[in-house]
Amino acid sequence: MAIDMNVFRGFAEQIKMLPQMARPTDCPENERVSHAKAIFSAKIDASNATHLESCVHCGLCAEACQFYIETEDPELTPIHKLDLLKRYYRREKAPLRWLHRLIEPEITEDDLKATQHLVYESCTECGRCGLVCPMGIDIASMVHITREGLAHAGLIPAGLRAVEQEQGSRGTVFGVGPEQLRQAAEELRAKGHVVPIDKDKADILVLTSTIDVLLFKDALEATVKVMNHLGVDWTMHSCAFEGANFGLLSGYSKVQQSASERITKQAIALGAKLVIVPECGHAYPAMRWAGANVHGGPLPFEVMAISEYLGREVMEGRLHVNPIGAGKHVTYHDPCKVGRHGGVFDEPRAVLQALGVDMREMPSNRATNFCCGGGAGLFVMEGAEPMRNAAFDLKRRQVEATGADSVVTACGSCRINLMAGAGRTQWATPIESLVELVGANLK
Amino acid sequence: MSFSEFVDGPFWYFSATVFVIGVLWRLIGMLSMGSKTDYSVPRSSGAAGALGINIKRFFPRSDFWSRIKLQVVAGYLFHVGLFALLFFAAPHIEFYREYVTGFGWTALPEWAFILVSEIAFLGLLLLILHRLMNPVTRMISDRGDYIGSILIFLVMLTGCLALARSHEALRVTHFFLAELLLLYFPFSALMHTFTFPFSRGFAGAHYGRRGVKV
Ligand code: SF4
Ligand code: SF4
Repeated sequence: MAIDMNVFRGFAEQIKMLPQMARPTDCPENERVSHAKAIFSAKIDASNATHLESCVHCGLCAEACQFYIETEDPELTPIHKLDLLKRYYRREKAPLRWLHRLIEPEITEDDLKATQHLVYESCTECGRCGLVCPMGIDIASMVHITREGLAHAGLIPAGLRAVEQEQGSRGTVFGVGPEQLRQAAEELRAKGHVVPIDKDKADILVLTSTIDVLLFKDALEATVKVMNHLGVDWTMHSCAFEGANFGLLSGYSKVQQSASERITKQAIALGAKLVIVPECGHAYPAMRWAGANVHGGPLPFEVMAISEYLGREVMEGRLHVNPIGAGKHVTYHDPCKVGRHGGVFDEPRAVLQALGVDMREMPSNRATNFCCGGGAGLFVMEGAEPMRNAAFDLKRRQVEATGADSVVTACGSCRINLMAGAGRTQWATPIESLVELVGANLK
Repeated sequence: MSFSEFVDGPFWYFSATVFVIGVLWRLIGMLSMGSKTDYSVPRSSGAAGALGINIKRFFPRSDFWSRIKLQVVAGYLFHVGLFALLFFAAPHIEFYREYVTGFGWTALPEWAFILVSEIAFLGLLLLILHRLMNPVTRMISDRGDYIGSILIFLVMLTGCLALARSHEALRVTHFFLAELLLLYFPFSALMHTFTFPFSRGFAGAHYGRRGVKV
């Protein structure tokens, strides 16, 4: 399951070029503040209000955040990332707003710009800080609201903006569209696989992602093998195959909605009972949790991450794999958006158990797992490199503490970030994909 | 009207009224902002998550313990000590019986009162020191945090002195400071006393729906 490192390096180079590809935003400078405020106003609900009212400034959240732990920079304290939103809330929404207006200064464009680095490049919305807060303050959700405000104020960092603009205008990500999907399918057919694309009706719509089409081709092949092995009625669709949602990552709701609805509508047209999201962390919440709300009503199909689906099929006795052997010591990295934000913990572990490997948990695992550092789009933000590196260094220590000789995960951007870190630090531990392990060991 | 009559009479009624109305105003204000319907299919119960977090969050996860033990221990010393003083010190019970509840309950013996006072003082001093010395808390703390801490410290100090010396001037000072604290309370982060179950509950419900025990 080796990936072509030249392709990986090419992909990394392409990411570095992104800022130059970004178009200017269409938000006039003098309307930035009002656009951001309109979003904050629409998004803040009773839950956010209660959280913004409850902080006791104890600082514990810093002790859970990988970025603070590694850098000890107080500026990276999770709750500090919400200063802008808190100020807006206090002046405009809080029950005591009449009082706060006497004390808190009005938000300015400079304040928005100063917040950009904090909520985009310094936070993966991993949610770990929310686990330690004595008040239970859900900082990650409010970092996302802040991102949404900044996005509508034209302040998405250039690298992320370039991909969001591409997905919004052309519907492609890194140039991958229907043609590239068909090409990838042809390559797989040439290897002897049946790859259904654009069927009229199917029980299961399988999504993939640009990363799997371009880079982790084995993950796509393994998915195809598993679906065929299970003998289910499935298809991919050239109009709705991209799981990645750069509207969600950037906070730009129009693009989030179009990317999400494209899938929902296609799944409905197919009569699908299940949509399977690929190994792409944020693609899971984009469809599983946000999909119905974007759609404006319950979805008439189930949404599962591929790791969740594999686990369910193993647990219910439909998917059989050959044991790899207890001589293989692995640890599992829970992608934050699938694990802590999604509740998918047992399923990937059931798969690893079926594979018969010696599973070794990291000191912080499952709900308290540390983020890889590349989540929430950090892997396409140039300015986030120091953060990604810091998170990798911590993650590496966590992995090494297990004595495992490989890390398995179920998210392409986690893999990219871990591989980039491994390349930077000459770390030889392989970073493997769960679906690829299954694909290679089907009974 | 003497100062003690003012403190025992109009100022008490004024501060208690501001406290009650202020607390309700803030609670109702934040809770009435409503929530959008979540159409996603829950994996598990949000209500159970809200309840669960409210209990579990009293006990920090072992993963975090080594990094947070000082704040947690200091926080517990202060909060447990303060709770015991507030509700089980004999003069307080007498005060509640006369002005609030109409009935009393068993008070702490004097030795226990002294012990819990010391525990509360130790906790509060540790928390203030931590706030001043830790780069994170120093950066995120605002004026209100220090005002709240100092007011509570003074209320506790005058309370202990008043009990020990049984001196009228000290009692009046203690009352006056406690009334200032009541006035300040709804405008400050001290409101967490009432917001924490809701704050935890919202997070617990959010993660509970997703089948994650937080
Ligand atoms: S969500 Fe994660 S990255 Fe963001 S502040 Fe919290 S712990 Fe840090
Ligand atoms: S842990 Fe919670 S209460 Fe403490 S500073 Fe952070 S957000 Fe505020």
